[in-house]
Amino acid sequence: MKKSNLLLGLAGVLILISLIAWGYQINKGLIVTNMRNPFSWGLYIATFAFFVGVAAGGLIISSSVYLFNIEKLKPFTRIASLSAFASILGAGAMIFPDMGRVDRVWNIFVYPNFKSPLVWDVVVISAYLLITFLSVYVQLLPDWKKEGRGFLNGWTKSHPQEYVEAFSKKWSKRVALVGLPVAILIHTVTALIFATQESRGWWNTAVLPPDFVSVAIASGTALVLVIALLAVGKDQFEQYKEAFQRMALIVAGSLVVHFFFVAVDLLIHGWWGSPEGKEVLSLIFSHYGFLYGTELLLPAFTMVFFLTKKGKNSFNALIIGSLLLFIGVFAHRLMLMYPAFNSIPLTLAIPGAGIESWAYPVAIGQLQEGVPVFVSSWAYMPSLVEYAVALLPFGLLLFVVTLALRMYNFVPQK
Amino acid sequence: MRLGMVIDLDRCIGCRSCAVACKSHNAQPPGTWWNRVFTPGASFHQAAVGKDGALQMESLPVSCQMCDNPACQKVCPSGATYTDEQGVVLIDYERCIGCRYCIAACPYGVRQYNWEDPKKAKERVGYEKGYEYGYPEDFRDKDGRLVFTPNRPVGVVEKCTFCAQYTSQGEEPACVRGCPGKVRIFGDLDDPNSEVSKLIKKRQPIRLKEELGTSPKVFYLAPAKPIR
Repeated sequence: MKKSNLLLGLAGVLILISLIAWGYQINKGLIVTNMRNPFSWGLYIATFAFFVGVAAGGLIISSSVYLFNIEKLKPFTRIASLSAFASILGAGAMIFPDMGRVDRVWNIFVYPNFKSPLVWDVVVISAYLLITFLSVYVQLLPDWKKEGRGFLNGWTKSHPQEYVEAFSKKWSKRVALVGLPVAILIHTVTALIFATQESRGWWNTAVLPPDFVSVAIASGTALVLVIALLAVGKDQFEQYKEAFQRMALIVAGSLVVHFFFVAVDLLIHGWWGSPEGKEVLSLIFSHYGFLYGTELLLPAFTMVFFLTKKGKNSFNALIIGSLLLFIGVFAHRLMLMYPAFNSIPLTLAIPGAGIESWAYPVAIGQLQEGVPVFVSSWAYMPSLVEYAVALLPFGLLLFVVTLALRMYNFVPQK
Repeated sequence: MRLGMVIDLDRCIGCRSCAVACKSHNAQPPGTWWNRVFTPGASFHQAAVGKDGALQMESLPVSCQMCDNPACQKVCPSGATYTDEQGVVLIDYERCIGCRYCIAACPYGVRQYNWEDPKKAKERVGYEKGYEYGYPEDFRDKDGRLVFTPNRPVGVVEKCTFCAQYTSQGEEPACVRGCPGKVRIFGDLDDPNSEVSKLIKKRQPIRLKEELGTSPKVFYLAPAKPIR
């Protein structure tokens, strides 16, 4: 009980800091970020994409219980749904501070442009938020009935316990099966926001949506794994060991697929040898080599680690492997931005001068002492305000998960 | 009517008068430039580039290319960016939600964001107090959409409008009028007898990043200094 108070307090502080920073940003404008015209999306969109990714876990776990009959995972379908709901809530919340005119966001609903992948992302993310909420709700109904509490469940009063149990069972399965394609779609559509843009070579590849799905299955399952481990504690580790090992296997397996996509993607970017392709490769391997190394090496370590006996057999190993994976996936999301924005789309060849690729400078949108107005690249580092605002989804996730685990029983005892 | 522009690079001296006229007439805040002129290949403007002692120095003005297939319009979630009946791509400053997807989508780097309130920006930079430049009134299209206002709202995207406030009254854009070399020719691409149409037929023009399929309505006549 005390531990959860501490965590709730921490979540409250994170949310408060981010709301204060967001208020400051609304007052001053996005000038308080380090984004500028040549680098117009940064930490916020990367964090958004990260949370969309970890939201996958819920329905992957629940639906694999029903689709592939993996009974061992059954005790964790509630935690899985909860983690998905909390993550997608965080992702949705992260989008708002990135909007320069958050007061007009309703324009998306009044005048939607259905050619824009962004509109479709709003549709699928809202649907996923609803579905994951329903998934948690129907699974908790029998407990609520028994304990005489809960919310939105007045209708169950007139039914016997057995009816509610059967209802819960039937609808948990239905929601999970309807939810699975939506879970795949949130990653596909989020990836399509980027992949459709032919002006940005780093994004414009058909491998991006399937790769988003593979990274999402890995990181989403890892989040369920971490929450499940912390919820049952070290004492009961042995009891659920097989379920944890199965999750670790799902993580490692989808990382194998991810690295296959990464290899194909790099090959396609590099093989033709065009100036654009060379520029992207030089950006990721040299200029942003550290970040890209983090993106590659940490998940690679987790992949191998989770396939070994040592990696999947202990509480601590599973936690550490998952945390390293999260850091790697976060670097992956940041690396969506760096090579895309620092490779300016309008490049020209000047054959007479022996120049194959010259980037036409872009106005940064600010006049400031010591900073050029026109630039060919922008050394983006998030500002303090951006870091503070980006705490919002972390705070929300922590708050929702801790509160829910404290109030209700998410690990049904057999 | 499809409004378009021909830019004769043979005549351009890189003086940037168009950029300045554009900036003043359209009241662009500090650090925002709808219209840019650079020397291709050079790290700064008006520096010659070349190899083996053979130097060259051309100038290339770039503003909104007014694409017939505009990526910026397609990605706009709220329909704030639209193409009017004259083929001009415009932004409704009252509908833009500031998501900046269009800035990521545009291959030409012409879209600019209002990172802060333009009035505050002018003040901070130290522009003379009370000095207001540019077309002084709001301009709305025939459907009442706000496509020009001297001080843009904070948090919206802006770009070249072909000077909608002038062209709607039959006048030419500021960059066309302000060019001392008469580099820019503006007119109706649908009219086969317009100067722009004739030039496009006569002098094989080039369009920027044509391979992206954006179909720009800004055409460049390559510098063809007779050497042989």
